[in-house]
Amino acid sequence: MLRRTIFDGVVFGFLLSVLAVAVLAPSEEQLLQLGIVSIWVLAFFMLGCAFSIALAKLQTNTLGAVLFRQVTHPEAEDRPWYRLFWKWQLVVSLLAAFVVAVVKTEFSFIELFDQHGFAGAVRLFKGLLTPNWEVLPRAVLNIVETIFMAFLATSLAIPVAFVLSFVCAKNIMQGPAARTVYFVLRTFLNVTRSIEALIWAIIFSVWVGIGPFAGMLALMIHSVASLAKQYSEMVESVEEGPIEAIESTGANKLQTIWYAIVPQVLLPYISFTVYRWDINVRMATIIGLVGGGGIGTMLVQYQGQAMWREVGCIIVVIAVVVWALDQASAYIREALK
Amino acid sequence: MSEVLLQVEKLSKTYPNGVQALKDVDLEVQQGEFLVIIGLSGSGKSTLLRCLNRLQEPTSGKIFFQGQDVSQMQDMREVRAVRRQMAMIFQHFNLIPRQSVLKNVMMGRLAEKTLWQSFWGIFSSEEKKQAMDNLRLVGIAEKAAIRADQLSGGQKQRVAIARALTQKPTLLLADEPVSSLDPATCHVVMDYLRKINQELGITVIANLHFLSLVRKYATRVVALKDGEIVFRGRPDEITEEWFRRIYGEGAQDVAPNDL
Repeated sequence: MLRRTIFDGVVFGFLLSVLAVAVLAPSEEQLLQLGIVSIWVLAFFMLGCAFSIALAKLQTNTLGAVLFRQVTHPEAEDRPWYRLFWKWQLVVSLLAAFVVAVVKTEFSFIELFDQHGFAGAVRLFKGLLTPNWEVLPRAVLNIVETIFMAFLATSLAIPVAFVLSFVCAKNIMQGPAARTVYFVLRTFLNVTRSIEALIWAIIFSVWVGIGPFAGMLALMIHSVASLAKQYSEMVESVEEGPIEAIESTGANKLQTIWYAIVPQVLLPYISFTVYRWDINVRMATIIGLVGGGGIGTMLVQYQGQAMWREVGCIIVVIAVVVWALDQASAYIREALK
Repeated sequence: MSEVLLQVEKLSKTYPNGVQALKDVDLEVQQGEFLVIIGLSGSGKSTLLRCLNRLQEPTSGKIFFQGQDVSQMQDMREVRAVRRQMAMIFQHFNLIPRQSVLKNVMMGRLAEKTLWQSFWGIFSSEEKKQAMDNLRLVGIAEKAAIRADQLSGGQKQRVAIARALTQKPTLLLADEPVSSLDPATCHVVMDYLRKINQELGITVIANLHFLSLVRKYATRVVALKDGEIVFRGRPDEITEEWFRRIYGEGAQDVAPNDL
């Protein structure tokens, strides 16, 4: 009941807010008053919740009720779709969201096909399609740097993530003290992972200075968090039987992990790690854009000077390497199955 | 009268979800017995075995194994020492896949290994010889180098028996050792269990389903129903009437009696 009320409250509150903005047409100044705006939004949300509760009393199935399987009025579901309240609720709120999105992104066909802008795009593509191969040696040198940056980040992340994966697995961390450690580490990793590698690169480029080292550190932090999560999910899904068997021989906890769990998770670990390296090479390119070194930094330099023919060459190099690594990692992962 | 190896007094187990798996179970096991526990699925047979070596924590009651109270042990080192002496085999064999048969068998030595030795997988030639001897005992020595997941069910269970023997146990707990095997293979595995019971003098406690197997192999039988022992006696004392009482009205032994 609580979940459906909150869900419907959010949906109705959103519709009411959109309606209010459309009718009252507040200025940007007014919208920037965060305090007042939040009071309005909160009021709309409360109103929405009240509306949802009223509808439940009136035996009408709302979207929230259908979603969370708390239908109070099942026989009404046989009606055609245009006589069902929740289907109208879904269509209207999606339409409203679409309209708001179009307005907010300043979507404009005029700009997309504007004569002047279009000519610029044509110029850019001409440059990109006739790459200047003179920068090729430097691009190759830089992408090698990127590949090894990704490699180092992945390899340094493996041992850390390996150890963390067991401490972050529910089936290993039993007992109150262990559970506390589990929750603290899980939360820490979730927060770390939710910060994009790009943000880490900005942080580290200030910390250790612009260059491949900063990029490598950023990728490493992100890889530790991602790998630890994927690894620990593997640990959580291992078969219990072998664990029981090794425990019953009189082995201790560490021996049990090493002999019963590790053999079961090793192949998936390798598979995830290869894939992570592949992802890291692609990410390393992006990270270069904010000063993480490698091919990305080179790309952003030429792009800044609008040297599109040189940019074209770099893009070709990136595309070839990313494609090749993608294929290679797919083959390796297939073979590991 | 021979020596008492294991004595269970008023053993109860209630799971966190409220299911009472064992209710005041009393049981005495003599040295050298082949004791079979029968009962429906969910009657508490597996829980009983798992409480004996503390894979499950008993809720109350006492378990005396060679004079020591296993149920009261707080120090995990003591529990592990007891587990070393009470080897266990399982319905689904529980071998480590992708590891060789020999390595699986040598895992029976883990209780005696230091962390350093187990981390690098260092096993002495003496231990390798023991493992090979035990594989020979269950007639599967030629498979030593093969990966455990490439064996058939019956072969896996024999490897599991070899792993258990490598622990040099005094007691072997067999949790439905033949339930996932076909009838022909059943007897092969049961014959090996009888062999180690009679020739090596290892006491065996086994959970079984088929009455025909019970009659052929057990020296003594107890029957569990809803967590309580409802029958104790010799295998030939289980009449059709008792069988129906244990397994419920209308039950018929599905085991191929004539095998």
